[in-house]
Amino acid sequence: MRVDIRGFIKPLIESLIAIVIGILLGAIILAFSGYNPIKAYIALFDGALGSKYGWAMTLSATTPMILTALTFGLGARTGLFNIGAEGTVYFGAIAALILTNIWGNILMGLLGGIIAGIAWMGIPAFLKVFRGVNEVVSTIMLNWMAYFLALYIVLQKIPNPDDPNKTIAVPLSARFPIIIRGTELSWAFAISVIAAVLAYYVLWHTTLGYELRVSGYNERAARYAGINPKKAIIWSFLIGGITSGLAGAVEVMGRPPSYAISQGMANIYGYGFDGIGVSLVGRNHPLGIIFSGIFFGMLKAGATAMQIEAGVPLEMVRMVQGIIVVTVAIPGILDLLKRVVRK
Amino acid sequence: MEEAPLIKMEGIVKIYPDGTKALKGVDLSVRKGEIHGLLGENGAGKTTLMKILSGMLRPTEGKIFVNGKEVRFKSPADALANGIGMVHQHFTLVDVFDGLHNIILGMEGHGLFSKIDVEKAMEKLQKLMDDLNFQVPLDVPVETLPVGVQQRIEILKTLYRDVDVLILDEPTAVLTPIEVKELFDVLKKLKAQDKTIIFISHKLKEVMEITDRVTVLRKGEVIGTVNTNETSPKELAKMMVGREVVLRIEKPPKEAENPVLQVQDLWVKGDRDQDAVKGLTFEVKAGEIFGIAGVEGNGQTELIEAISGLRKIEKGKVILNGKDITGRPPKELYDLGVAHIPEDRIHMGLVSEMSVAENSILGLHWRETFRGPIGMLRWNKAKEHATKIVKNFEVLVPSIEAPVKSLSGGNQQKLIVARETSKQPEFIIASQPTRGVDVASTEYIRNYLINLRNENKAVLLVSADLDEILQLSDRMAIIYEGKFVGIVKPEEVTEEEIGLMMGGIKHES
Amino acid sequence: MMDTALSILIGALTAMVPLVLTSVGATVSERAGVVNIGYEGILLMSAFFGAMFAEISGSPWIGLIGGAFIGMLLGMLHGFITVYLKGDHVIPGIGVNLLALGVVAFGIPAYWGTAGQHQVPSNFRIAPIIKTAYGSLSPMVLITIVIVVLTHWVLFRTPLGLRIRSVGENPEAADALGINVERYRFLATVYGATLAGLGGAFMSVDWLGTVTKQLSAGRGFIALANMVFSGWNPLRALLGGFIFGFFDNLSVWVRTNPTVQEIIPWQFVATLPYLVTLIIVAGIIGRVRAPKADGKPYKRE
Repeated sequence: MRVDIRGFIKPLIESLIAIVIGILLGAIILAFSGYNPIKAYIALFDGALGSKYGWAMTLSATTPMILTALTFGLGARTGLFNIGAEGTVYFGAIAALILTNIWGNILMGLLGGIIAGIAWMGIPAFLKVFRGVNEVVSTIMLNWMAYFLALYIVLQKIPNPDDPNKTIAVPLSARFPIIIRGTELSWAFAISVIAAVLAYYVLWHTTLGYELRVSGYNERAARYAGINPKKAIIWSFLIGGITSGLAGAVEVMGRPPSYAISQGMANIYGYGFDGIGVSLVGRNHPLGIIFSGIFFGMLKAGATAMQIEAGVPLEMVRMVQGIIVVTVAIPGILDLLKRVVRK
Repeated sequence: MEEAPLIKMEGIVKIYPDGTKALKGVDLSVRKGEIHGLLGENGAGKTTLMKILSGMLRPTEGKIFVNGKEVRFKSPADALANGIGMVHQHFTLVDVFDGLHNIILGMEGHGLFSKIDVEKAMEKLQKLMDDLNFQVPLDVPVETLPVGVQQRIEILKTLYRDVDVLILDEPTAVLTPIEVKELFDVLKKLKAQDKTIIFISHKLKEVMEITDRVTVLRKGEVIGTVNTNETSPKELAKMMVGREVVLRIEKPPKEAENPVLQVQDLWVKGDRDQDAVKGLTFEVKAGEIFGIAGVEGNGQTELIEAISGLRKIEKGKVILNGKDITGRPPKELYDLGVAHIPEDRIHMGLVSEMSVAENSILGLHWRETFRGPIGMLRWNKAKEHATKIVKNFEVLVPSIEAPVKSLSGGNQQKLIVARETSKQPEFIIASQPTRGVDVASTEYIRNYLINLRNENKAVLLVSADLDEILQLSDRMAIIYEGKFVGIVKPEEVTEEEIGLMMGGIKHES
Repeated sequence: MMDTALSILIGALTAMVPLVLTSVGATVSERAGVVNIGYEGILLMSAFFGAMFAEISGSPWIGLIGGAFIGMLLGMLHGFITVYLKGDHVIPGIGVNLLALGVVAFGIPAYWGTAGQHQVPSNFRIAPIIKTAYGSLSPMVLITIVIVVLTHWVLFRTPLGLRIRSVGENPEAADALGINVERYRFLATVYGATLAGLGGAFMSVDWLGTVTKQLSAGRGFIALANMVFSGWNPLRALLGGFIFGFFDNLSVWVRTNPTVQEIIPWQFVATLPYLVTLIIVAGIIGRVRAPKADGKPYKRE
């Protein structure tokens, strides 16, 4: 549809303000904790953006986060708080691992992620539509169940016989080709971007998307307009399940060096939570999500450099993310700042 | 000579945050012990003015004096402290609390952590009720009580705070004629106790009956204050509307044809699982407007929702052009030629965050015209459609890309009417089609409904506005507690007879 | 057999504490109309700072109070955004939960220099009031019960409670009677978060004696489920909390029991509290009624 410039600039500025506040508060906390914030941030940004390698790492970290952000963003556009991406990622990764080890090609791996996503995300959809269960509570409970169930599968069902710290790996034939040699950036990134563009297209240029958005804004109006809000809820969960299932799949099929799930699922843990922040900062808009995804990817990629060069625990970036999300939740922060400045 | 006024408001201006100028410099003075009417059309600013006097809103400009002393109310508490209390049109009761706790809320006595002294409060309330000669149950949740009783609890609530000035906002809107009479008895007793009453209404008859003086407001300005016994309904009407004829509605005679909608022994439940519609049977014919009059809350909402596929039908049948449509979903009904102008335009008829263009296809977005391959939505067609209906219906919009929340109430309603008629319906449900709409838009919409009828469409009109029903309907039914008390032709009954029927008293014809 | 029953009972009473405190806090907050889904994060951050305060001051009680204080601050943040700025009620909670993940994951290595986990030394932990062979009972269990009963009494018997409930049911009505809607909503929100903070600190300086980034383990949300289950009633939340605490503790107990481990993988047992929560929540819907203005910002104009 149209591009409403004024409707677009304000949220952009508000997101930027949130990012600045997050980085500043992060610096203050760093200083209080006895680190040198300037050194830390230089290491972070230099690590993430200072070289072609850094950029490649940033984009590869972005890849799964865009997909999990789409889960939350699509939900939000339909009036849901879908926090369930986290658990879905685990099963997407596991399904991709298993299917690629049977059939050995990329398509089967992606299909595995999609099916696992639909199956797992179907549970909260069912509970919401038929039992009226609040999706925040159900998806959180399911995340924890997913964590333990996935842990069981990883440890008991698909361990790597040669390396007890890992699962079996995706076979060579089913791995995404690397875009820049010597980095972790693979063509999986393209899957994320395509998914975001498709999500945008579905939301704003199809009748299904129209119905999802109407349901999200106003359930009574939707019913009045002949739209079944329950159908909209189910679609929103299922599409969201597909994207976060894919997030798990592309993470094991497109991220060197292991192409497997590592000990304690460390390499697939947390993307669902990151995605929520990415989506909120991207204003739950698929195209906004691409850009905020890259920003979050940068934090993630730069965190390792920061830990090595400035000795700051890399979890620090998650704290910055949290501050940014809390700030995004403050309504009219732009007007608020203007008022403060005027005083 | 002139008595010193108890309340004096001077140059009150109110501009809402969205820029609406609701009051443009209003002066008002109210004498002690009088019943002062505040008369005006919807949107004239009566409620806004009184919300300012009761501390709910703060004026943008202007001064308020009580007993000659200037006051500034920051909250309703300040107004109450100055002896001013208001009973709002939409009652402000906590549904799940009983009457007693609703009344004592905020002045429970003692400290915040002490036990509430129920006996003492009850004693004071009993005395108040004895003085006014009525009894209401104070120990059951107010949501289980009829509106008339709830209103008395509201009045007790202000009296419990020892107010001298009682403001009543459209207190008769939800009452039957009998309850209105009882309310007026209470008001007279209060007057005898030297209380001052400000009575907001747009009903001339009531204002003539109960008030001592009347101030007429129009579009945020005072037209004048007159002594009731020195004026006439005709003069007040002229002051209120600003022109001789209220509305120019022309309705040529027309023979109705075959029935389009047939409803047979329809039973529908309300939100609290009570029977709301109890065995209604009627039909709406091609080329007629069938009106349903009645005090709100007598099953109208449930009836409309059931017919339009939004509420479950417990028993009975709905037939459209000979086809059984009982329990069919809205989408199917729209495809069969039903259009629906819902009573709640903001929460049902429109998605206020979405644009005019997006709203213009709500409920027809699945039609061939707007659908491309693989479920695509053809925005260029939608925009064409929006542009066309906005033009045809003279809807004032900044642009078709603007969110509908930026439109005035009248233009929002016109947009809905425009969209619904663009569905090319055979049968139109119009529920409260002109509520809260300015005079020009009201006239436009009413004439349009008559046009539809002249084009041989069937129109089902539900309205709490009796004038609207009388003006538009070819036949009308009066609904009371989910049943029709009578089905009559408007020209064959007197207003008094209708009044009785609205109060549930059967019409014998 | 008797020993097992007793030790499970004591375990359930202990596991109940953070759930009940959070449920009852959330009940007060929602009775006033403010939804907060950030309790998970509040529990986690209070556990972290509670342990820190206990070790700095040398007193576990200071740790508890410090945890409650952190909860209070986070409640003030939430109240400020939702009550005074009229913001969305859900998103700040999501933010606080994400923030907690970061703060604790960063804080453990930054403050204690250990990776992922910190063991709180036993001299900084609350001493039990009853010690038996089957387990020991913390004074916090009694304190929790007292808090619940007092909160219940205040909520349903006093003017303060009447006002809190009125602003959550019909803020217009309360406002028209001169009740400061924003103040009561804000205070109720802060109270709720403070109780959760106390519950969080209890986990680190008393019950579990450890700080990890997964310490809260979904309890913030289980507490919300318990609040709904109990129909926004503190006394019933105490009972519900005991049931949820029972399963919480059961899963821990079974997980460490080698005989059971042979029959059923521990990961399956670990899902039990979450599964039970889901089943209970799915079973009760439609039979409870939330405060009418719950989660709705109130603006006078």
